[in-house]
Amino acid sequence: MNKPAKNNSEIVEIFRHLIRDRLGLLGLIIVMLIIGSALFAPLIAPYDPVALNIPDRVQGPSFVHLLGTDQLGRDTFSRVIYGGRVALQVALPTIAGALFLGLVLGMIAGYGPKWLDNLILLFFDTVRSFPTVMFALAVVALVGPSLNTVIFVIMATSIPTYGRVVRTMTLSIKTSEFIMAERSLGASTFRIMSVHILPNVLGPLAVLAAMDIPTVVGLEAGLSFLGMGVKPPTPSWGSLLNDGYSLIRNTPWLIVAGGIPLILITLGFTFLGEALRDVVDPKLRGRGGAK
Amino acid sequence: MKKTNIEWTKIPVGRRSFLQGASMLGLAGATGLGFSGNAFADGAVLKTRAYADMRSLDPAFSQGVPDEEIQAPIYNKLIQYKSGSEWGWQLDAAESIEQVDGTHINFTLKDNIGFTNGFGAMTAEDVKYSFERIIDDKLESSNKPDWSALDHVEVTGERTGTIVLKNAFQPLWSITLPYIAGNIVSKKAFESVGGKIDTTPVATSGPYMHKSWVPKQKTTLVRNPDWKGDPAAFDEIQIYPIDDEKASEIAYEANSIDFTRVSLDSLDRLKSSPPENTTVAEFPSLFYVWVGMNLSNPKLGNLKLRQAIQYAIDVPSIMQASYFGGAAPSTGIIAPGLSGHRDQSLTGIAANLEMAQKLMDESGESNVSLTIDILNKSTNVTTAQIIQANLAAIGISLEVRLHEGATFWNLGGNEDLELILNRFSMTPDPYYATSWFITEQAGVWNWERFGSEEFDKIHTDAQAESDPVKRNQMYQRAQDLMEESGAYKFITHEATPNIYRNTISPALRPDGLPLYRYFSKA
Repeated sequence: MNKPAKNNSEIVEIFRHLIRDRLGLLGLIIVMLIIGSALFAPLIAPYDPVALNIPDRVQGPSFVHLLGTDQLGRDTFSRVIYGGRVALQVALPTIAGALFLGLVLGMIAGYGPKWLDNLILLFFDTVRSFPTVMFALAVVALVGPSLNTVIFVIMATSIPTYGRVVRTMTLSIKTSEFIMAERSLGASTFRIMSVHILPNVLGPLAVLAAMDIPTVVGLEAGLSFLGMGVKPPTPSWGSLLNDGYSLIRNTPWLIVAGGIPLILITLGFTFLGEALRDVVDPKLRGRGGAK
Repeated sequence: MKKTNIEWTKIPVGRRSFLQGASMLGLAGATGLGFSGNAFADGAVLKTRAYADMRSLDPAFSQGVPDEEIQAPIYNKLIQYKSGSEWGWQLDAAESIEQVDGTHINFTLKDNIGFTNGFGAMTAEDVKYSFERIIDDKLESSNKPDWSALDHVEVTGERTGTIVLKNAFQPLWSITLPYIAGNIVSKKAFESVGGKIDTTPVATSGPYMHKSWVPKQKTTLVRNPDWKGDPAAFDEIQIYPIDDEKASEIAYEANSIDFTRVSLDSLDRLKSSPPENTTVAEFPSLFYVWVGMNLSNPKLGNLKLRQAIQYAIDVPSIMQASYFGGAAPSTGIIAPGLSGHRDQSLTGIAANLEMAQKLMDESGESNVSLTIDILNKSTNVTTAQIIQANLAAIGISLEVRLHEGATFWNLGGNEDLELILNRFSMTPDPYYATSWFITEQAGVWNWERFGSEEFDKIHTDAQAESDPVKRNQMYQRAQDLMEESGAYKFITHEATPNIYRNTISPALRPDGLPLYRYFSKA
């Protein structure tokens, strides 16, 4: 019964720290706003994001259309809100998948025999040797653009990032005295990995994941900007940027509308990630909170 | 090391005349006298944009405007298009050319044209080889239709010959001779490399020579030092393939290019506040844009379904959103002003959703899900989304598939294609338009796999028809047949707005396309 109580107190401590850290709090608010607007998009967006209204095309901001309209008369504000859904639809499963696979492979590499470590490292290095955007373009050219393709590509290229962090931490923890003690008491490898190593690597991994979300969202936006991401007419921030680029001389609002959420999500997750890092790393705790 | 060609020069150069020439050159140098800018360009470089990358430098396999824009300055033809607002031609390699009857054209070549790399003077044998190889079945030239009426070329002298046609061929003077298939190559040079080339020319003869090609980046042409005709105005012409007009506008404003076509939605802005030292010029266009449906795909086997799609597409919306009101809807593949243009299409211009739904119901199809393949350009993406919304209104789900240029232009052989948003270039004769839709072109340029015996017959007969009224009716009927098949919905002929620096004097066809060999400095 003590363990859950301890976990609750840790969560409360994290929140306390975030509230004390102004940037962390700002990051949390931005992230909550983005997630909230994506989740409740049908309630927030004033218009259907894909409904055409050609007579009202390329309008500037007004009370009727807060961020104006695009070349097909679609409400830009509604497309920004729905674009958040696409961003999170890509970011969350991508990060979750990459984190899970990176965690498993990293722990195996760190705890397993040397030959397996070398093999997994070779795999990581091979994947990392492809520039992500080039790899993405090659895959998209082969199988065609789609949301699932984007998710697969970004997930595949993110696995080594998490895997290497986990491997390094596992190597460090497995030589700790308490692990040796566990081993001498006859604890199984599975128990050592799941009860002792896993909880110790999860914290830093969560921080890394939070800070990776803007990268993934930016990559999706980049692919959509190039026409290699989500298919029309699905609204994504990248396709908004593409439309905005085409019409930048006619209406600059589109590119502003596509750019602002990308800036916000980057700032939000970076601030939040840094604050979480301060909480997770005892050496930094107190420095961030004292701001 | 490549040899430069001098032996074809017919000007006799004796010891005395050589010394006289050398003395004059020395005197000019010593006294600071210069030749006119026209005679010796001052190291100028013309930087320009092509809407697609070069695909072949072999006239037999040239794939349209982007290839011809490079081939025209490096090869010669008997005649070339004239620049200006009226379609016409001017002599090029031919000193004289005359149609003596419906099927015989006599020509005499100039005596001062030769091929680079030591392949000698241009002769009537080269003309014969260049034209006859295109109709040779073994070569499988994609431009065979341009010379479909050719029987043979009779060589009557070193520089004289007669083009003998199987039948009268009206497009000869407007398409065949002054365009792609009229380019003359060196017989010796081509035979030395097995009879065909790809992107590296083995010998050229025009005022410019091909220097280099960096795929997807740049083609560079340089002045041909052995050219004896009117001097080339530029030391170098750099042609940058830029698919998207928006990107080329930015390139222009960044001083990276000197001449480009611009997008219609930028036209008002450019006219009201053009970039410094710039001219904005508008031209009617002959291009044709259409939505095609692949008849060999079982998903589109139902005529009623195809007709429903034809009636559902709202072209005026496309004109507004994609072309910013700067282009007019088209009624077919032949633009206004050309023989065969139709005043009206069969399925109308605006969407008729009532008719579309009725045809959809009659088709018995439900839960129809289709794809449309498009070239990834902002205009096309916008058009495709309008079509997507139009078809959704009659219960058809449409997935838009975007392709980069190289991928898109190779889709023709894909039998699984469904809908295609396409755009072809055109020349000032209706024959050129119908050429690509005959049965023989199925899977080559006829991506819809449209096949009609009547259409093929009209295409063949109309090329020889000398009565303009009858010819007009024949091409109108040909377009009716295309539309009746349900495989086509015609969208627009677009328009051609260009911008260029006032430091250059462009030579443009009446449809605004560039003739680089005649560009000069202002």
